[in-house]
Amino acid sequence: MNLKELYQEIILEHGKNPRNLRKTENFNKDAKGNNPLCGDIVHVYLKLSEQRKVEDISFEGSGCAISMASASIMTDLIKGKSDNETKEIIEDFLGMIKENPELKSNILKEDDKTKLMCLSGVKQYPMRVKCATLSWHTLISAMENDGKEISTES
Amino acid sequence: MNIDTIKKEFPIFDKKIQNNDLVYLDSANSSQKPKVVIDRINEFYSKQFSNVGRSVHYLAVTATNLYENTRSSVQKYINAKDKNEIVFTKGATEALNLVANTLGQKYLEEGDEILLTELEHHSNYVPWHYLRKSKNIKINFAEINEDGDVPIENIEKKITPKTKIIAINHLSNVTGAILPIKEITELAHSKGIIVVVDGCQGGPHLKLDMQELDCDFYAISCHKMYGPTGLGILYGKKKWLEELPPYQGGGGMIKEVKKDRITYGDLPNKYEAGTMATAQVIAFDQSIKFLESIGIENIIKHEKELIEYGQEILRKNNSVKLIGNPKNKGGVLSFIIQGVHPHDIATILDEDGVAIRAGHHCCQILHDKLEIPASARASIGVYNIKSDFDQLNESINKCKKIFDLK
Repeated sequence: MNLKELYQEIILEHGKNPRNLRKTENFNKDAKGNNPLCGDIVHVYLKLSEQRKVEDISFEGSGCAISMASASIMTDLIKGKSDNETKEIIEDFLGMIKENPELKSNILKEDDKTKLMCLSGVKQYPMRVKCATLSWHTLISAMENDGKEISTES
Repeated sequence: MNIDTIKKEFPIFDKKIQNNDLVYLDSANSSQKPKVVIDRINEFYSKQFSNVGRSVHYLAVTATNLYENTRSSVQKYINAKDKNEIVFTKGATEALNLVANTLGQKYLEEGDEILLTELEHHSNYVPWHYLRKSKNIKINFAEINEDGDVPIENIEKKITPKTKIIAINHLSNVTGAILPIKEITELAHSKGIIVVVDGCQGGPHLKLDMQELDCDFYAISCHKMYGPTGLGILYGKKKWLEELPPYQGGGGMIKEVKKDRITYGDLPNKYEAGTMATAQVIAFDQSIKFLESIGIENIIKHEKELIEYGQEILRKNNSVKLIGNPKNKGGVLSFIIQGVHPHDIATILDEDGVAIRAGHHCCQILHDKLEIPASARASIGVYNIKSDFDQLNESINKCKKIFDLK
């Protein structure tokens, strides 16, 4: 276990100053997520174009440094992406957090990949994986399931 | 037994946790187990095991006697008037569900009110919540004051002519407030109100005297009292347990079963349907003996000194804000650090072998009231020593360093 790997500079910085922590005006998709075991909550707002391009993405919520940083980095990377690109990035991230040593997708730029890889430190902390993935599952719900509330425990 | 050397009775402290000595500050969640309790489970399964109360063979008689011995020990330990006032359950949660369910069936009418406090653990709220729908009853909450305490006046204020039950914790698992159960019961009984006590945190930390407290029901969690998991105790006054309907149906709780009618067994069998947690019950006798060998007065004194020491240390740490400052406090020190989420605190502390709990501790109502999503909680048991709080403080300083706090 290595705390330095978990709490990297980028994570601490995003945790302290989360990007896109607001509510998108005129959002047309949204979903709530919660972790009933610890009380973390997140609400993801999306503004999708007619072609389902992510014109804006934002979130509200509270949680630990890992969950806030993850939501912050996620919203930063997803903004401006198409429907398919978004799906690919989500799948790639969740795959990396679960088992893959690296990100596979070529959609993200190298420095964006580096940012996302910073979250890989949670792999060593099974109890904290849910902190990193909650906002991502909530994003899927907002995109796919018409905003069905996400819980880490169901 | 000398309380200063009690730690050596607990085998877990011989183990290194990720190369560190274990600093266990999560006893409000569950306590560690002394060797005598662990050994008793092994011995029972190895040499004496049988189901209880059914067969007539030698092992069945032995097991039944041992099982009933624990009931007698518990009766004595909590000073209940009658042995049959002790019901074994699978936990304090089941004990509280049993009370809520059976009082709901037999005693409550539409429009009746139940009074809880804002301190309650979810297991002393959710079972009552079920009655909102099934019986259309109303639930009120006595408010906490700024110290995280519920003074008796705040309870009195919320009593109405419709209040039928007051269900309250003995010791808050978040603020550590110790409620004056005896006085609350006197007040409640003067108005014909039943008192149900969630004694999960009271059990390990306070003197339990049912005849003195005079409450109608008291729920105990055995695994928080140095006993095995999967076991709880419901104390209920005999008149209630006799009058209320059974909770679960099954083997062991019946008198006579016919195709057209069923009659139920006498106390305590009426509430102990199915095969019970036999080994756990029998081992819990050792937990009681362990507590008796130290003496509850010594435990109270030791833990009071520890909590005062912990408070003193954490108050000096300028980033730490303690949650709750009740006059009578026991067992727990909850806190927040401005700028570090409790989960991050818990993960960083864990790296040093310091085990605490982070979250809402099954008390969302209280955390909403305090306007914090979560808190960190250090909770103690008989085995803790002052240096555990020194290590806690040192590890908190490590958190501050990682998060760049002054």
